[in-house]
Amino acid sequence: MLLMIVFIPLIGAFFLPAAGKIASKFRNALAFGLLLAPFALLLIALPTSTTASPPGFNVSLPLGLNFGFLADGLAVYMALSSSFLGLIIVIYSWGYIAHSDNQNEYYLLVVLFIGAMMGITLTTSLIFLYVFWEISAVCCWRLIGFFREKEYVRRANKAFLITAAGALLMLIGFLMVYQQYGTTDLTQLKGKSISSAAVLLILFGIFSKSATLPLHSWIADAGIAPTPATALLHAAVLVKIGVYAYARLFLVNFSIDAFWNTAVPVIAAVSMLLSAGAAIAETNIKRIIAYSTVSQIGFIFLGLSVGGGQALAGGVLYILMHAISKGGLFLCAGIVEHTCHTMDVRKLGGLYKTMPWTAASFLICAFSVMGIPPFGGFFSKYLVISGTVSAGHPWIAAVFILGAVMTVIYLARAFILVFMGEPKTHAIKEGSRTMVFSVALLAGLSLLSGLLIYYPMHFVDSIVRQMAVTIK
Amino acid sequence: MNMNSTSLLYVIILPSVFAVLMPLVPARLKRAKEAVVLAGFAANLALVLAIYGKDLSFVSLWSGTGLEFSLKLYHFSGFILLCAALITFLVVVYTTVFLKDKAYSKLFYVCLLFTLTLVNGAVLANNLVVMLFFWEGILATMFVLIALGGKNAYKTSVKALVIAGLGDLCMMLGIGLIGWISGTLSMDGIRRFPLSSPLAISAFILLLIGAVSKAGAMPFHTWIPDAANDAPLPFMAFMPGTLEKLLGIYLLTRVCVDFFDFTPGSAMSLLLMSLGAVTILFGVMMALVQKDFKRLLSYHAVSQVGYMLLGIGTALPVGIIGGLFHMLNNAVYKCCLFLTAGSVERQAGTTDMHRLSGLGKQMPYTFGFFAIAAASIAGFPLTNGFFSKELIFDGAVESGLLFYIIALVGAFFTAVSFLKLGHAVFLGKPAADMKPVKEAPAAMLIPMGLLSLACLVLGFGQSAVISNFLQPVLHEAAAGEHIGSHTNWLLAGISVGVLTLALIDHLYGFRKTGKGLEAADHFHDAPGLRTVYKWAGKKLFDPYHLGGYFIRAFAAVSLRVNDGINAFYDIYSVRFVGMLSGLVRKAHNGNQARYVLWAVAGLALVAAIFLLPL
Repeated sequence: MLLMIVFIPLIGAFFLPAAGKIASKFRNALAFGLLLAPFALLLIALPTSTTASPPGFNVSLPLGLNFGFLADGLAVYMALSSSFLGLIIVIYSWGYIAHSDNQNEYYLLVVLFIGAMMGITLTTSLIFLYVFWEISAVCCWRLIGFFREKEYVRRANKAFLITAAGALLMLIGFLMVYQQYGTTDLTQLKGKSISSAAVLLILFGIFSKSATLPLHSWIADAGIAPTPATALLHAAVLVKIGVYAYARLFLVNFSIDAFWNTAVPVIAAVSMLLSAGAAIAETNIKRIIAYSTVSQIGFIFLGLSVGGGQALAGGVLYILMHAISKGGLFLCAGIVEHTCHTMDVRKLGGLYKTMPWTAASFLICAFSVMGIPPFGGFFSKYLVISGTVSAGHPWIAAVFILGAVMTVIYLARAFILVFMGEPKTHAIKEGSRTMVFSVALLAGLSLLSGLLIYYPMHFVDSIVRQMAVTIK
Repeated sequence: MNMNSTSLLYVIILPSVFAVLMPLVPARLKRAKEAVVLAGFAANLALVLAIYGKDLSFVSLWSGTGLEFSLKLYHFSGFILLCAALITFLVVVYTTVFLKDKAYSKLFYVCLLFTLTLVNGAVLANNLVVMLFFWEGILATMFVLIALGGKNAYKTSVKALVIAGLGDLCMMLGIGLIGWISGTLSMDGIRRFPLSSPLAISAFILLLIGAVSKAGAMPFHTWIPDAANDAPLPFMAFMPGTLEKLLGIYLLTRVCVDFFDFTPGSAMSLLLMSLGAVTILFGVMMALVQKDFKRLLSYHAVSQVGYMLLGIGTALPVGIIGGLFHMLNNAVYKCCLFLTAGSVERQAGTTDMHRLSGLGKQMPYTFGFFAIAAASIAGFPLTNGFFSKELIFDGAVESGLLFYIIALVGAFFTAVSFLKLGHAVFLGKPAADMKPVKEAPAAMLIPMGLLSLACLVLGFGQSAVISNFLQPVLHEAAAGEHIGSHTNWLLAGISVGVLTLALIDHLYGFRKTGKGLEAADHFHDAPGLRTVYKWAGKKLFDPYHLGGYFIRAFAAVSLRVNDGINAFYDIYSVRFVGMLSGLVRKAHNGNQARYVLWAVAGLALVAAIFLLPL
């Protein structure tokens, strides 16, 4: 079953161009189906994932290599939220991409990307982690440069080079671990301590993927990708790969020096502050949201790295809440771009009259990212802040409070510049039905995830409990 | 109806149910949305009355990590709940007429109902995170309520969001701290935590910031006067006039009386009193020079909070009771004053005092209600405002003469500015270019009338109100002390003297300028003060304005840093790689001898790596 979760999208993706030759409707539906299948299978795996013996299998290969999957709570949680966002993004793409060239390739890449993501979350082998990691980087490269203009291709190359360079350094780190213990099997490596040099090398990979200062430079440039792809890359899935790898490797598996419990929060704090500042000064709506992602990733890293169950729960919950509401923000920005043909906030304004649904969805998602109740983002922010305090770092928490205030400022600024004031563009209408449906759905989820916090939190709690057991 | 603990949940959910019903109301039905919002607030009032006086608590699982959803109704939360329900019901009656022809009224009502849910939740919460959940949620409804006010109101709504958001986020940190050091988040569980460690003091100050920023004290007040200009008027009566004061002072009292060991004469007590004194003085001096009805009132809304902070800050029973009583009285008279401003705005078409004059004859009821409420805020003897101010004076005298003097100066200027306001708007001859103005409709007059009646009733019944509603709030040791009909005749005499001085000053100013509006201008033009007012006009006292510079500078710097990092990847690394490949290219110049040389050098290097022991 776990094999199906990974390989249905991974292999199925290559049938999409053929399906596109038959009928574009068929291809669109097939793409949806290819993501629905792993989503459904993951839901089936959900109940057993947080038990003492989660489903999984392992095949030992010669030389201490291995190939295996394990569906524990953390993996299922990540995979579920990624595939769910993938589903919404496919629905949105039906409207967004309908008039572009190369749609076959587009759907192939999106589905392939989600397949790679499934692999990254479920695998128990360091080498296959690297393989899936690079598959996702290739998809990302093609998606960013999807519109093929010269400048776009250059930026896509930049994103690819930075993440691939990070990944290569990470591979060296993996090899150091392999050299030390003679295996790539994560289940056998549990609790083993690794050298700080290896940690540093692996962190390069993680930070370049999760767009943390100073390896974040590609993310703001990557806004030229088709919007659903941007949402997929920036908000929902790609940037979470690094975060997930951090949790998987450094929290569940290896034991690392306590030094990193202070170093990583400090890196996260610097990254969070400087990108929040840049988001306040930026004038391109997608760059604003991209910098905001860098900033919010800082909160997630803080939660994961600072220590203590509460902060960890906050960080894990943050991954989901941020995926939902930041995805919503990107998709709203995409609707605006699609109808007004500009991303410069100085040239936009007054759109709430003609696009009330998009405006309301943007506002709700923005409230959630700001951490305003009753939206879901409140809980994750509170848990991270409070967890940092109880981990004995009130000063770091205070710095992040400052960052949270800046979040309020740049999102409120983006909202009023785009949606309030005097209209400055003409020919504006609401986006297509599927697009507005997707953003309204994400906005609704932002609200529901806060009102019904018991359910996501219950799951996150059991994940954290499972992780705490494995940490010991 | 059987009143058990789940009814606490109904109190919170009920207004939202009506809010959700609102969009389902067909547009064709006239008055349907007004009926729904009225029914919502009436139902809330009925439910609150039904559970009033009971001690109930409700606990259920919430989000994990030890957080539980716990609510508690006891005398204090019940009292705040009742005040909020009563006053907001009256304001809603008024609002349904006031907003009758406005296109945005439906969304406005929805937000009001949601706000009521959040306020009820914040008051009933018995866990600090539950309280924060409801409390911070008000940011969202407030943002929308202000933005509805007009084309440019969104600027003010962002200002309110950022300032209030800062306060709420500070409180989030404070809650994290207090939870960590006291080991519990239950509001029952934190009892008089000693203010001895730096962490405890930080937690206290952060919670204080949350409370006073909600109440609208300095330096978190600057959005309120802007909202007076931009937001729909009922918002002013609702939020800064009533609910925010009730919430802010409720939390402040819980923090000072219950959570921390807050004692008279301590540094924290001095801090809070100083904040109160500064707020009184600054607010009233700004109010003094305003020439717009609503804006003038909004500065008084700030100034009056100062009295509450000063009273509670004394940490003396008499001061705390005075502060709480002032909170109640202020909610009543300030709300009434905002409503009279609204009826002037609706009937005369403006609140600009330059264009208003002599409305007293045309709007006699509005004028009458205004006069009663203005007398209360000025502390005219036997009104409710008089008694609560006397209690605060009493506490201030015991805590430090300077605080008492500042409070007296505040009282003097409050009286002066209301004499000016009433004189300019309601007395004199009607302005020549003004069309005849009619009295407001009955549905607006009745709420104003009831509120001004309440000013008198609370004044006459002050002793009963204090001993029944306010005294139980104090912790056991001080609860026994009798404060009810406590009157210090000397202080009362001084207060009356100050009011008389204010009247004399007004007559002097009126004689000098010949206009009620300009009767206080001699303060504006006084040497020294004139410069200060000029600075204030340039927004030098607006932390939001000043903070804006800082944030913009920081943003510009971080954009630079990011651009620098981008340049590293986009330009320098590309250049570096280009340079390297240039070097290699130069090495390959087609000369075969050189290629042999390279090959030998390479071999030697490989041999060295393998042969030399590393």
